[in-house]
Amino acid sequence: MGEETTSLGGIHVSPNAVATIAYHATLQSYGVVGLAPKNLADGIVSTITREPSRGISVHYKEDEIHIDIHVIVEYGTRINSVAESVANTVRFHVEKALGLRVNTVNVHVAGLRISNTD
Amino acid sequence: MAIDTARVEKFRKRTIDGQAFKRLVEAGLTWLRTNQQVVNALNVFPVPDGDTGTNMSLTLQAAWNEVKDKGTIHLGEMAASFSKGALMGARGNSGVITSQILRGFSRGVHEAETLDIDTFIKALGEARDTAYKGVVKPVEGTILTVIKETANAAEAARGSVKDAIELLELVVKAADESVKRTPELLPILKQAGVVDSGGKGLFFFLEGMLRHVYGESLETPTVSVQPISAMSLEGAMEEVEEGQDYEVVVDFVPNGELDLHGFYARLEEMGTSIQVGEGDGMYRMHIHVPTENRYVPIDYIMGIGTVTKVAIENLMAQMDDIQKSKSTQIQFGAVEPGNIAVVVVSPGTGLSRIFASLGVAAVVAGGQTMNPSTQDILSSFENMPTDKVIILPNNKNIVMAANQAKDVTVKKVQVVPTRTVPQGLAAMLSFDPSGDVEAVAAKMNKAMSNVKTGEITVATRSVEIDGVTVKDGQVISLLDGKLVASADTVEHGLFELLEKAEAADHEIVTLFYGGDMSHVEANRLADAVREKYSNLEVEVQEGGQPHYQFILSIE
Repeated sequence: MGEETTSLGGIHVSPNAVATIAYHATLQSYGVVGLAPKNLADGIVSTITREPSRGISVHYKEDEIHIDIHVIVEYGTRINSVAESVANTVRFHVEKALGLRVNTVNVHVAGLRISNTD
Repeated sequence: MAIDTARVEKFRKRTIDGQAFKRLVEAGLTWLRTNQQVVNALNVFPVPDGDTGTNMSLTLQAAWNEVKDKGTIHLGEMAASFSKGALMGARGNSGVITSQILRGFSRGVHEAETLDIDTFIKALGEARDTAYKGVVKPVEGTILTVIKETANAAEAARGSVKDAIELLELVVKAADESVKRTPELLPILKQAGVVDSGGKGLFFFLEGMLRHVYGESLETPTVSVQPISAMSLEGAMEEVEEGQDYEVVVDFVPNGELDLHGFYARLEEMGTSIQVGEGDGMYRMHIHVPTENRYVPIDYIMGIGTVTKVAIENLMAQMDDIQKSKSTQIQFGAVEPGNIAVVVVSPGTGLSRIFASLGVAAVVAGGQTMNPSTQDILSSFENMPTDKVIILPNNKNIVMAANQAKDVTVKKVQVVPTRTVPQGLAAMLSFDPSGDVEAVAAKMNKAMSNVKTGEITVATRSVEIDGVTVKDGQVISLLDGKLVASADTVEHGLFELLEKAEAADHEIVTLFYGGDMSHVEANRLADAVREKYSNLEVEVQEGGQPHYQFILSIE
């Protein structure tokens, strides 16, 4: 996927463009206070590591779209609910912008930020 | 509104300690829960799947559970427990924000034994600051804006309010106004003609506290009398609460003018699910009461008017009958020890039966408006004689719960993330019970993409999305979850959908008709489809799902 073919030719959306959409959606999600550099050790070929896609990797496998997001979450929120809402928000925004289905959104909580202790 | 002024005066004189705070938040929770459906209905997509009200209620319920047995009179301690409960029970986005608001509030009152004006203002400010710390790019026109504007209003009023109750009045008013402004800040709300649901939920929570001070009802959304013909007594049946075993319906003619507020207040002391209807000077009252109180409403009404008719029914017995008739018909195949068992989520009995015939081992009831919990899914397969399980959630909102079930069990579980019922059916067709669980799941995953899903339902509000204009009550067509057309009749919606799905290029269309669609009408529409698409094979099956007139599988 990331590609659509019409009678006039094809449209190709680069993973980097998808990552930019995911990046903005992530930062609007409640409970996320930042993105973490992704772990380069995970096997699959990840694309360019420039600003908007920092912490986000998008890859296409055959006709499937997979998104991995590495986030820093505010200490004191329920991490499970925050991660769930990141996944939903990112999927919603990417699908809305591309008109293509996103197969998986994996949210990795890379750390917590403590801004207040109770 | 009937404000009990003597009660308010008492509140003004009293200090708000931990126990008083506990009663206030309980009232807030009760009022939010009463209006939960109102909040859910503010969803921006025109299909009934809203859950903000439910998520906020469940979050505050968790918070309440934490404090309900606490005896401390220290405000700070009580608020800290409440906040801790909210954090642990936070559900959904709105729930997480609510928990942060409470966390900030609790920090603001940390040292305080009672809630005075300054502490209250400081705590609201902390609530606002903490809520905003949790996000990098806050979206305005949401619950965040509401807590911000509410806290700002409280800070601006410093010095001009006399007591905490007056401040609470001001806070509720500010929240109300802020909620009303949300469509100006968030275009999607304006487009859908609603206010923000989370903000509205927060408003109800605050207003509930004030209603408690005023001595107003927290159980009935607004005191209202409807025409007798409009009373939906069947629907009320489904909300039987434990201990409210009897349904009592009394027709009566009151002596002179009926004092509605007094009447409701008295009924609320007796039971729940209260409805009052009126027509031609005659009233009908409906209530659920505990067994021992089943004659109390009748005696009471005999004192204020002339009773013309009484009906009493045992709800528990009726519920048993319904449960039995629901569960007897479907037979699931037994799971061979060591084989793979498939668990599916199904929104209707007809669909459950079809899944059963395809070799599914268990069905969890659920769908768009009734998402099953992780626990529901878990308990469906925990006692099966195999450790290999495949779950088909059949709805995008349930995929998460299915994955959680996978995470908490020791069994080898695979979730095939089917987002619609037709995808689930397509996946089932390539199911092999004796294969390797991962390989089978991969095969099913592949099979589910061979099918297009169409849905026909009725919009619950007017909206414009993706260039399609929809009016409240119109039929809408969804293709793979996307709104593609609106129409005035189911027939038109169906044809629009088939055209958008390019049905002429496909081979088989299966129509699963919903619970509120007759067999005859479904067949008539199927014939119309056959006539237009002569090369298409059209099948009709009873689906039994609520809300959706048709679910279509297009192959």
